[in-house]
Amino acid sequence: MQRSPDVPPLSPVLLAGLALRPFPVVMLQPVLDAVMLIIHRRHPDVFDRLSGFQNPVFLIDPIDLPCAFILTPETRNPRVVAVAEYDPKTILETADAVIRGPLMSLMDLLEGRIDGDSLFFSRDLMIEGNTECVVALRNAVDGAEINVTEDILALFGPLAGPLRIAKKAGDVIFSRATQDLAFLRDAVIAPSMHRHAAIESQLHKLTEKIDAIDRKSAT
Amino acid sequence: MNRPLELVCPAGTPAALRAAVEAGADSVYLGFRDETNARNFPGLNFNHKELAEGLKYAHDNGTRILVAINTFPEAGNPAPWHRAVDCAADLGADAVILADIGLLDYTASHHPSLRRHLSVQASASNPEAIRFYCNAFGVRRVVLPRVLTVPEIAALNREIAGIDVETEVFVFGGLCVMAEGRCALSSYATGISPNKNGACSPASHVHYENQRGKMVSKLGAFTINQFHADEPAGYPTLCKGRFVTNGKASYLFEEPTSLSAAMLLPELQAAGVTALKIEGRQRGRAYISQVVTAFRKALDAIAAGQPPPPLDMSALTEGQRQTTGVYEKTWR
Repeated sequence: MQRSPDVPPLSPVLLAGLALRPFPVVMLQPVLDAVMLIIHRRHPDVFDRLSGFQNPVFLIDPIDLPCAFILTPETRNPRVVAVAEYDPKTILETADAVIRGPLMSLMDLLEGRIDGDSLFFSRDLMIEGNTECVVALRNAVDGAEINVTEDILALFGPLAGPLRIAKKAGDVIFSRATQDLAFLRDAVIAPSMHRHAAIESQLHKLTEKIDAIDRKSAT
Repeated sequence: MNRPLELVCPAGTPAALRAAVEAGADSVYLGFRDETNARNFPGLNFNHKELAEGLKYAHDNGTRILVAINTFPEAGNPAPWHRAVDCAADLGADAVILADIGLLDYTASHHPSLRRHLSVQASASNPEAIRFYCNAFGVRRVVLPRVLTVPEIAALNREIAGIDVETEVFVFGGLCVMAEGRCALSSYATGISPNKNGACSPASHVHYENQRGKMVSKLGAFTINQFHADEPAGYPTLCKGRFVTNGKASYLFEEPTSLSAAMLLPELQAAGVTALKIEGRQRGRAYISQVVTAFRKALDAIAAGQPPPPLDMSALTEGQRQTTGVYEKTWR
């Protein structure tokens, strides 16, 4: 079943986002500042590849999180800021481009595990605004071989090893939770899907009948 | 006994180059970060330092580097194209892929030992054209345009058997349905030429809008398509646009789809083809890695006398659909 591009998938990210909704997004800022500092230090070529553009501003909206991020990838002082909400009708007055998609798809894109065009073809990635800036950002990021986890772990020196093991355990739990939620979602929507299939079948038969009548009247 | 087929793979960044080499590419083709190549997209391609490093990495791993300088020089300003050829020669590229006869002549006279391939952009699809390029400019390989069936490729290879030239064909990726190097549709819509500036449907002229759940794609002033929420999307190219004629929206030239000739590899080998090309210098390294790995396995199976395994790469294709395109043309 194809998911509507604007509807977030039922995932651990969605549930975690809802649980964190009461907390102000400003609490995220120190973490975002640290991550951006590391990426800037370890992958300066990303920002060099974007240097031909006049300080583009991107609104990055993980559709399964209750917040979005404003990215200004300036060569010397790149910055990412979390925002609790924005107006989709006016956002392009302040941002050059908007990029929307599920958080894990955006992370896969950032770390080069998935191809951006493929995400676009499947409608998991939506873009609006200045396409040229988005393409440049995508190409710059893909070419940089960013690995956010490894970039952060590198700061922890001898503790990086144990933390890496903990991260792997967390990945397993996350993967299981994702599968369980997909199973739950399928069980919940199964009756609706049966009804949908029946209506689709009826619609198909009606369309065939109309086509047959049209052909008959044409001859 | 047939020679092993050469797998020629794309790279738009140094990371993609490494991914292609690791996945088993025999050759990698790439371009400079300017209008001298036909994938002049923002944030893509190589500067001279990156090419030098990429050449060393590729050669250390036994992979050849082919530099695409396959746009047509601007009238009165051939210098950037000449510099690109000089740089490729100086850095030790294994071949250059060229389309323009002036640039072929420049390369043949200034760098006679630099191997010359004829780009698909030259659209050489008959023995007379190929013979001319070989005799006049010493071309050693011709990338055939995507207009020939497999039997036509076999016949062509028989006719040029007396010439010291190889043929290369596309087997996967974006599918250009026009006469390559001669299509002006995108130029008409944007004022930027794929053949001279190196970008078909340049991103600077592409806009996407969400309109009541539908995604509308526009190129310049032209609406190219609108995709319903449950419909896979395609590139915003005019040749794959869905236009309204007689009150009905339909694809006039070609639907959003990608070429996949994975199941035709033994036939292409039997047709005398030397090299198989994967399209997609603009694609991410995940695409490169996945597609090159799949084709490497298929070619290794063929070399071992086994049938190629089925390759399902529909998740990577435009519109999430695949076609064998003109190779199995049934409509002519």
